[in-house]
Amino acid sequence: MARPFLRLQLVQVVFIVGFLGLLGRAAQVQLFQGAKHAAAAAAERTERVELPARRGSIFDRKGAALALTQEVFHVGVAPNELDSLAADSRILSQELGVPLRTVQQRLQARWAYFAGPYNSLVVQPLRGMRGVHLDGEQVRFHPHSDLARSLLGHPAAEGRPASGIERVMDTLLAGVPGTAVVLRDRRGNLYQSPARLNAFPVPGHDVYLTLDGDLQEIIEQALTDALEQYEAEGGDMVVLDPVSGEILAIASGGEGGSNALTGVFEPGSTAKLFAAAALLTHRLVGSTDSVWTEEGEYDLDGRIIHDDHPEGWLDLSGVFQHSSNIGMVKLALRLSADLQYEMLRDFGLGTPTGVEYPSESSGTLKPPSQWSGTTAASVAMGYEVAVTALQLAQAYAAIANDGVMMQPTLIREVRSPEGVVVRRHTPQPVRRVVSPAVASELRSLLRGVVYPGGTGETAALTSYEVAGKTGTVRRAGPGGYIRGSYTASFVSMFPADDPQLVMVVKLDDPQGNYARLSAAPVTRRVLEQVLATQLGPLDRARLTTSQVTAEPQVVAEHGTATWLSPFPVVQAVDSGGLEVVPDVTGLTLRGAARELHKLGFRVQAIGWGVVDSVAPAPGDSAAIGSVVTVTASERNPPR
Amino acid sequence: MANPRGRLWVTVWLVFVLAVLAWVVARQTSAHLTARRLEELRTEWSVYEAQRSALIARIREAESRAVLMPQAESLGLREPADSEIVILQAPAPRRR
Repeated sequence: MARPFLRLQLVQVVFIVGFLGLLGRAAQVQLFQGAKHAAAAAAERTERVELPARRGSIFDRKGAALALTQEVFHVGVAPNELDSLAADSRILSQELGVPLRTVQQRLQARWAYFAGPYNSLVVQPLRGMRGVHLDGEQVRFHPHSDLARSLLGHPAAEGRPASGIERVMDTLLAGVPGTAVVLRDRRGNLYQSPARLNAFPVPGHDVYLTLDGDLQEIIEQALTDALEQYEAEGGDMVVLDPVSGEILAIASGGEGGSNALTGVFEPGSTAKLFAAAALLTHRLVGSTDSVWTEEGEYDLDGRIIHDDHPEGWLDLSGVFQHSSNIGMVKLALRLSADLQYEMLRDFGLGTPTGVEYPSESSGTLKPPSQWSGTTAASVAMGYEVAVTALQLAQAYAAIANDGVMMQPTLIREVRSPEGVVVRRHTPQPVRRVVSPAVASELRSLLRGVVYPGGTGETAALTSYEVAGKTGTVRRAGPGGYIRGSYTASFVSMFPADDPQLVMVVKLDDPQGNYARLSAAPVTRRVLEQVLATQLGPLDRARLTTSQVTAEPQVVAEHGTATWLSPFPVVQAVDSGGLEVVPDVTGLTLRGAARELHKLGFRVQAIGWGVVDSVAPAPGDSAAIGSVVTVTASERNPPR
Repeated sequence: MANPRGRLWVTVWLVFVLAVLAWVVARQTSAHLTARRLEELRTEWSVYEAQRSALIARIREAESRAVLMPQAESLGLREPADSEIVILQAPAPRRR
């Protein structure tokens, strides 16, 4: 009997040892190697993925989208997984817009790839189709395909660095990607698992630029038209708000690849303003001072200086109006090199403006220690210095802003993904360049340039005064200045009193050469379009005080304007025809203006409400283009 | 004779374990359903975003000067000269 008992005990011992061994192994696997095995198991069933953050959008100052982020897809097809090769081929062809024959050819391979990219709308019918695999990515989308594209640039992509605003604002636009662990089945299909979302992606901030979309479109079209009309090689345009320093529009076109922030040029006669500022600031020229301009040719120590419009004696305003190089050189000789240099530095020449744009050029301005014997004369005429279009706009904006130079900016606001404004641009004064009195004198000089006989007369408007300065300068090439090739520019302030816009138009090698015949007329066309458009940056209430009138007595009587210009209105009158003034009493101001405009009259409106009286009286004849004044009262205000 | 209290405890623990397991399974199922719904919503959102982008592009093009100006000219309209623009300034509202 002892034997069975022994055997039983033996079996028990074996079982116990076996159980203990199993327990020990389980403990080893679970307790000591548990983490390793769990990771291996997870790796079999899960995959860690990065969740891309939505890149912030870029808007113009009025909230119109300039750059958005859109999800697009590339489509891969495994033909052996398709339910029906024939039917699915037709669907793919129809939805992707690829010819059926092409689809069928590609599906003969083991793997067909349609790069696209296709947006969600296109691929929506393909979701859920067996054998169709969508590969998504986020790309930049520009609703207005070409608007301000070179300025906006593009985000970094594989093998391509970021550029433009996308580069400068990248850290704010990019956002923070999230991470998640997703489940994977045997086929490799991924399934989201919210329990394993490690970090939510944080979308990027939205950036609001100072650009005005409407104005941007106007100047881009104007520049394109100008390049075509004048057969110019290239050109730049900048429009700046002189009070805030905000860049309202900026455009570049043509050859070269540079733009208004990176391309430099010699400013030519537009730089005469800086020498004049120094002369007036240091009281080295008086209102009655005149210089002999040698009737167009002057020998300065062996260097012959020419004027395109030969004149005799000219005061400073005459020098400006006729853009006399000889006059300006003779006046600038009263300045020391240091005084001239300091004024140019104060106007920002030779220094980047600091606008939010990569690789902005600083231009060229040599210190007086490097000047030759003729540099002072050259600089006074705008040679031997180089500026960007933005630098020139900023310098003129200082004059428009009563002598205070403002920091130019392209960024108006930055908003968080929740819409909270995290940064808002506030106007930043850089320095006072000239006194308000000198700035006012300089604006008067610029105003004269646009009067009849001035080099900028082709920029003149009929109802509003424009101040500006032309610049026509020979273009430099590898072997010196190129014969017959010029850069034409016109810098303007609108309106001349209390300027709201400062605009630079620069054309490279326009046929017709002179700024008077190219850049200045472009300025006029742009300003007319600006006036005809409901633009945000233009304060129309302020503009009413700048409107020129041909009826000084009437205006003075009502005390609505203190300053009158003799010029532009006179030119607007068409002496060739007369028209009878209609009776518009009883009409609203708008209705009266419409009736009078139909007959070719200009309208001066006084008061508000219903028209009471008309001058000249109804029934009288008046020249077409002359001003008819309508006076309204509020007794019966229009509805 | 087995201890009735022991059986009760075993039953209680068994029920407890089953309940916990059921709860875990329910949560997992719910999580997967939510994840699927989330993915559907994300897809839907992506489609709407694409629609929005397409519409914005169409609106921008339709209201661009390049499109509007030729149409306006075909209707006999033109851009006014600056002399034809009269800015009417409404008086400030009176205080009551």
